[in-house]
Amino acid sequence: MLLEEISLLLQKGKAKEVKSLVQQALDEGVQPADILNEGLIKGMSIIGGKFRNNEVFVPEVLVAARAMNFGLEILRPALVRDGNKAKGKALICTVHGDLHDIGKNLVKMMIEGQGIEVIDLGVDVAPEVIAEAIQEHHPDLLCLSALLTTTMMNQKVIIDYLKKAGIRDQVKILVGGAPVTEQFARDIGADAYAADAASASELALAYCR
Amino acid sequence: MLLDIHQYKINIDKTFQENYQLYHDAYHKRPGNVSLRVLPPCDVSFYEKIDLTKYDFEKDIEQYTTDLLGLLDQSYQTRKTLDDNMIPTVFPILGIGDYSAFLAGDIIFKPDTSWGEHVLKEIDDWKKLPPYGSTKWYRLFMMITERLIQKSAKQGIPYMRGFFSPLDLAHALRGEDIYYDFYDEPEKLHELLDYCATMTIRFAEDIYRLVDKYGKDTTYGTWYTRKQINMSEDIACMISGDTYREFCRPHTQRVVNHFGSGYMHCHSRAMYLVKEICDMDHIVHLWLATDPNQPRPIDHVAKLVNDAQGAVMAIDCDTFAEIEKNYEAMKKGNFSICLPVKSVEEGEMVIQRFRQLEATHR
Repeated sequence: MLLEEISLLLQKGKAKEVKSLVQQALDEGVQPADILNEGLIKGMSIIGGKFRNNEVFVPEVLVAARAMNFGLEILRPALVRDGNKAKGKALICTVHGDLHDIGKNLVKMMIEGQGIEVIDLGVDVAPEVIAEAIQEHHPDLLCLSALLTTTMMNQKVIIDYLKKAGIRDQVKILVGGAPVTEQFARDIGADAYAADAASASELALAYCR
Repeated sequence: MLLDIHQYKINIDKTFQENYQLYHDAYHKRPGNVSLRVLPPCDVSFYEKIDLTKYDFEKDIEQYTTDLLGLLDQSYQTRKTLDDNMIPTVFPILGIGDYSAFLAGDIIFKPDTSWGEHVLKEIDDWKKLPPYGSTKWYRLFMMITERLIQKSAKQGIPYMRGFFSPLDLAHALRGEDIYYDFYDEPEKLHELLDYCATMTIRFAEDIYRLVDKYGKDTTYGTWYTRKQINMSEDIACMISGDTYREFCRPHTQRVVNHFGSGYMHCHSRAMYLVKEICDMDHIVHLWLATDPNQPRPIDHVAKLVNDAQGAVMAIDCDTFAEIEKNYEAMKKGNFSICLPVKSVEEGEMVIQRFRQLEATHR
């Protein structure tokens, strides 16, 4: 019941209430992993599905993700104490030449909502910076966002750069953004294409398992 | 240098007349018009040819305006035999940074586009912005505009300028934090949107005054500034119809009312917003750009007829067969249909077929 309430309040973006209920659940002895999976992640997955179906929109996803982070703030020490590890690690960025970050941020939040650690390299990120980050963080997944038809080709530039650097096969590469298509993803040598943030988070989870 | 507008269009007076009829009918919600725009490569190639990073706009306005007008001249000469609904116009190409930087912040230029800085860390920081008209980019933009109009008005070529809607402008100033403002600071968000509406009106008025100064005695120089405003509602694609109605519509409507009629732009991602936008008073045009991976407007003509309520829906399609297939349905509303073509020659053939189609349905 309490976990259901956490999920519902998260979907409404009620950050303070989520935080307080997560604390209450911990105080009542609910397992941290259950709070995470049955409360926070469940709520975020529902929001992701509604977003995909145009039932909710960007503001609703953002406030829900913020509520999740409020809950995680309280939950994280307990998760660590119990030996719960992140389900995987992802690097995310908007490609060089492109300053748009709303799509990237939505994907980041949804992936985090799956219990995956996400390292956000920001926007307008050059191939060399991505290569360095792969070598430093050893992620399972690299997510590349591009909003413009003029910058989507830089997803290919980055993949080619990683191939040349001999590190392409160290990560799965997921591409997305308004103009990107499944065919384009295949053509440029990405591992997958995500049409929306919810699909991206599902793919991320599959790759991190 | 630019030529007289009559040398850029084989039948420009007829084109103006047809456009006048189309928008006059739309204003009075009378359906029955389908108008064609073909889009050969020369209609868009100038966007790629102008390198915005090569100019220091403090020093290079003369060079920039010469280069830009040279590219427009090339484009219009190339397509001069096309008897579609396109009217040659002059407009600045500075990316999108200039759409907000006239109020505050600098512009970040890339070769073919630009962005404005998000200057509002807190939602009510707009109260601390420099006085209207005092910024670097207001000054430079008005200098560029004046020079472009000086070089084109006598040739009868109208100057055209679009604006951000209050929501788009607020987003450009505030950044992604604005999405939280809908929930966290609804009252303050209304204040910010009200400010953006007021600034848009002032900016457009200033530009229109310049057009009047040089163009009022020319045949078509003031065509795009009389009783109308052209605005984008791009950010509306990220919010629900309910949120649009509550937060955006009142402010966009105020700007439209000030000028008399609204020519709007949005994306097919927001097909659900067509009704919301066209429900406003005096909306005569909505350009619904087709997004990749989203529904194509041409596949939803009946819904658009219903939702647009007589406003001209400017949409695109991929083939002439789609125009033929949807022609009868489009006549139930008002449409400006755009068809990309590979060459001017192909455009000429398409227009000929379109005129035959018109004749058979008259």
